[in-house]
Amino acid sequence: MTMVKALNSALDNAMERDDSVILLGEDVGTDGGVFRVTDGLLNKYGKERVIDTPLAELGIMGFGIGMAMEGLKAIPEIQFQDFLYTGMDQIINQMAKLRYRTNGDYTVPMVLRTPYAGGVHGGPYHSQSGEVYFTHTQGLTVVTPSTPYDAKGLLLSSIELNDPVIFLEPKRSYFIKGEVPEDYYKIDLRKANVLKEGDDLTVITYGPSVPLVQNTVKKNNVNAEIIDLRTLNPFDINTILTSVKKTGRVLIVHEAPKMFGVGAELAATIAEKAIDYLSAPILRVTGLDIPVPFALEDYYVPNERRIMEAVNKLLNYQ
Amino acid sequence: MIEKTDISKEDLLNAYRNIVMERFLDKKMLNASKQGFLPFYIPLMGHEAIHIGIGLAIRNTDFFYPYYRDFGAIIERGIPLDMALSQVFATEDDNALGRSMPNHFSFKKYNIGAVITTVAGHLTAATGIAYAYKYRKKEGSIITTFGDGATSTPDFHVAMNFAGVYNLPMVFFCENNQFAISVPTYPAENGAFDQTYMETRGDIYKKAEAYGFKGIRIDGTDFVEVYRQTRKALENAKNGPILIEAMSYRMGPHSTADDPNKYRTNTVPEGSAKDPLIASQKALKDMDILDDSMIKSINDEMDRKTTELVNKYEREPKPDKHTMLDNLYEEEPWYISEERGDVQ
Repeated sequence: MTMVKALNSALDNAMERDDSVILLGEDVGTDGGVFRVTDGLLNKYGKERVIDTPLAELGIMGFGIGMAMEGLKAIPEIQFQDFLYTGMDQIINQMAKLRYRTNGDYTVPMVLRTPYAGGVHGGPYHSQSGEVYFTHTQGLTVVTPSTPYDAKGLLLSSIELNDPVIFLEPKRSYFIKGEVPEDYYKIDLRKANVLKEGDDLTVITYGPSVPLVQNTVKKNNVNAEIIDLRTLNPFDINTILTSVKKTGRVLIVHEAPKMFGVGAELAATIAEKAIDYLSAPILRVTGLDIPVPFALEDYYVPNERRIMEAVNKLLNYQ
Repeated sequence: MIEKTDISKEDLLNAYRNIVMERFLDKKMLNASKQGFLPFYIPLMGHEAIHIGIGLAIRNTDFFYPYYRDFGAIIERGIPLDMALSQVFATEDDNALGRSMPNHFSFKKYNIGAVITTVAGHLTAATGIAYAYKYRKKEGSIITTFGDGATSTPDFHVAMNFAGVYNLPMVFFCENNQFAISVPTYPAENGAFDQTYMETRGDIYKKAEAYGFKGIRIDGTDFVEVYRQTRKALENAKNGPILIEAMSYRMGPHSTADDPNKYRTNTVPEGSAKDPLIASQKALKDMDILDDSMIKSINDEMDRKTTELVNKYEREPKPDKHTMLDNLYEEEPWYISEERGDVQ
């Protein structure tokens, strides 16, 4: 099934098991969401549990946070990650901090789902990769799947977590297909996925860039180890270090811009903990440091040519 | 906790005693701040009738989401003084381990929401709590308080709209003390202050109408009136939300970092007829519940009691520094474990 269907199946499983699970957001009810992730759930679970909201991301976030404070499991959908900034105050100042600032008197077990990154030629306001806004906010767990199977398992694990999760869905992968069980299953949120073992270098990537990295490595017969982070914060340091110590060469690929990005944190952490094992500088292939341009999006995102340039530079580095 | 089914003479007298206690505590906490025992403090003077009236009206089944100037409401609601003062003085007994500024209470077991510093930052969460009450068919209603400045925020308007759309069991309670720090709420009357601009030209209580429900304006210096209107609102909230605008006056500075002499002349000096403490004395005297000798003995008692309390709490130990890294997540991430080494 597609990633969209896998996400729908996860929500269906969770709602069936637990009547405290509530979906809310713009157009999630009758319309089933603009990408159809919540399709059919209104009919199955009713309007008390699948709530169409007024057009206000701030309200959606606060509404969900309050439900979570009172024991419900709110799963808001923000239609595009680009639009959630008016709700950002609630995410940073309330959702992320409640457990800490009350020392656990209140917690916010909720999952904010939102499509992010490019792939639909949406220009500056339907294509953003804003993951660092969340990864740099203490208290949030930031998860991003790369396959239909992971999308369902990671979403169900996120729903079970007693802390707030930002669940970033790569919209460019919404309609890729894969095997997905109908039944309930979970995936460890604190464990990265080694997609392919290899010896010559480690490629660390996540979410929307995973299929590109896999295809590029396969097509060019690169003996690379590919790590899909799955969770960006807290990321799985052990899997990364084990691989880096084996290969000694590291490439980080993500669609978000390079400056101050996730790659910067990964590179710094690897350098701090394993620089003696490195045989080459850590390289990054990322989106360009500009807003996503409408007409020229294909030149903005990482591509095979840029990845192979970096791979060859790493492999040839003396 | 006492379940208040009606307002008895005993309740009224207790309420008055809490008004006096709040006044004395406020002065002494402000003083503690000047002496360096509190790095920051938010004065309460002028709000006492509102606080005590609200606290008296809230039942155990109701949920109260306060803002940062609601000390007396917390006490009147039935929170033990030691819990409240441990929070204010950020002692090791504070249930939140001294992580927030004074008056930022969080008492889940008393159905009190976690006070947030950002103005109006709690209003949308209050709508979610109200939705959960409705969904679970829980007894009780939700009351959330905020200052007049909060009514300029998007949070206020979004929360009001959501409350209207989902017909939530909520009371929005605006403690209008007429100033958002230096900016007046409404245009100046009789040149009472020298300001070109204001928070709003429209009456706050009338804004409810645009969201499909009723708003009322009440006298926030009369705690009996505050009690009656709030109680009625909480009972009727099962049928939908209401907005209450209670008129009062911020008799002190906004915070210890503020000097109101820079922007206004105090039109409600302490001891004047509009001072809620004086207004409360008059109301209870008119009801033959209070007389001059009782006023004096309650004053003496509260003066002594609050001195003892403040002396005690300002010297209580602070939380152990090793607790600082606790409870960010349910499961501690590897980097927090590493940072424990940085706290020595």
